[in-house]
Amino acid sequence: MIRDITLGQYYPEYSRIHKLDPRLKIIVTLVYIVSLFLIEDFAGYAIALVSMGAVIALSKVPLRFMLRGLKPIILIIVFTFTLNMLMTKGTILWEWGFFRITKEGLYNAIFMAARLIFLIVGSSVLTLTTKPIKLTDGIESLLKPFRRFGLPAHELAMMMTIALRFIPTLLEETDKIMKAQQARGADFETGGLLRRAKALVPLLVPLFVGAFRIAQDLAMAMEARCYRGGEGRTKLNMLKFRRRDALAIGFTALYLSGIVAERILL
Amino acid sequence: MSIRVEHLTHIYNKGLAYETKAVDDVGFTVEDGEFIGIIGHTGSGKSTLIQHLNGILKPESGRIFVGDVEITAKNIKMNQIRKRVGLVFQYPEYQLFEATVRSDVAFGPGNLGLPEDEIEDRVREALRLVGLDFSTYADRSPFELSGGQKRRVAIAGVIAMRPEVLILDEPTAGLDPKAHGDILRMVRSVRDRTSGIVILVSHNMSDVAEMADRVFVMDRGRLVRAAAPAEVFAEADFLRSIGLDVPPATRMANTLMGEGFAPDRTILTLGEMADFLAGRLGGRA
Repeated sequence: MIRDITLGQYYPEYSRIHKLDPRLKIIVTLVYIVSLFLIEDFAGYAIALVSMGAVIALSKVPLRFMLRGLKPIILIIVFTFTLNMLMTKGTILWEWGFFRITKEGLYNAIFMAARLIFLIVGSSVLTLTTKPIKLTDGIESLLKPFRRFGLPAHELAMMMTIALRFIPTLLEETDKIMKAQQARGADFETGGLLRRAKALVPLLVPLFVGAFRIAQDLAMAMEARCYRGGEGRTKLNMLKFRRRDALAIGFTALYLSGIVAERILL
Repeated sequence: MSIRVEHLTHIYNKGLAYETKAVDDVGFTVEDGEFIGIIGHTGSGKSTLIQHLNGILKPESGRIFVGDVEITAKNIKMNQIRKRVGLVFQYPEYQLFEATVRSDVAFGPGNLGLPEDEIEDRVREALRLVGLDFSTYADRSPFELSGGQKRRVAIAGVIAMRPEVLILDEPTAGLDPKAHGDILRMVRSVRDRTSGIVILVSHNMSDVAEMADRVFVMDRGRLVRAAAPAEVFAEADFLRSIGLDVPPATRMANTLMGEGFAPDRTILTLGEMADFLAGRLGGRA
């Protein structure tokens, strides 16, 4: 169950999408997210679906992995779907007591649910095809211009790198502690809310103690290797803009104009 | 009580690209009162195997019987098994969480739903068995103790549940020689006290050779040997081929054999080696 979280989980593969410049991938993902809010009807979604399908196919990541990111938000999708369906006024399709499904409601519900799904899967493409380390490299590079306004770009990126790096470590730690407490008869799965919350204490205390221990070790290791922030720091892997990145920009522009044209024309 | 394992297989990340068979068709029986040592290289499946014995992990296939209860059956009450099979994980000191040693050790018995005075008795007994003085340590925070002491508190937390089977996963890893000896003495005294099954997973060949009635050897998820220490450690070349070795005393004996001083039986411990040498030199150990 802990292993279901896709966030920050990279799927190793050698595809054209994987090789793209991370800065570009971040921008394209942002463009894609914005474009989803420009779409007003299902014809627009068709364009979004085809483009995303093409990118997923190019990325060689199994569709299963892409959709796995939806699991944790399935409740939210169902919730918005139901709310939209029941709360919109319009032509009544079906009525029972004060429950009322309208044509407009159903349309809205499907529309909103589709937008959520596109949002999540779209951003999963970014995290699944980009190594966390490259992702933060990209973010750092994109944030650099804001440094003159006092934004600590390098420090932010380093914090993100470390956070991403330690997600699996902490998950593993959680798994270990959970097992150890279960061996002592702890029960995390049954009982009411209060009981369950109390049952988490034997898990959370060791986890926090462990996190501080890991943080201290890491800080020591970084100091031992003379880490002193981003000033004058060079990179092992320089980000380079290549021909395939230019191609990607072309496709993105094409996609965006498709979305805009569809909105104006239809 | 005995433990019987039949055709146990466990697969990690099933269906993914990085699927691995951690335990592969393992079967064995452990008789009541036996002391079993499990050895194997890192990643050979020792830890995965023992986590099945108290139902922490569910196997892909295969069955496990503890006494006459099949713990791999559906609708089995896990607490009933965990009461009978105590499992001490690697680096168990990282599971400590309570404000005092007393309440941490009481966590396990408390989960069994025992009455207060019974829990108190068990905490006292468990702390005594691991060699910590009750009046000195009971009300201290476990986080201010030394590494070796923390580990003893953690082990006491499992012993306090009075399991009939005690499984320890590398209980001496990362300890200094004195703490190492203390933990092993403690394991021995617990066994003398409870006369139940003890299963010790270890990378230390001497410890296993000295303490175990039988040694299980794991290699890449398979149980490749299950025999008395003398028999297992007689196959030095085989053990080396799977990333293990024989105890230092046995290695010395094998070297002596090459030089023409043949011991008449497999030597496992330093004590046996001393006796052998003393006999050869015409004196007494």
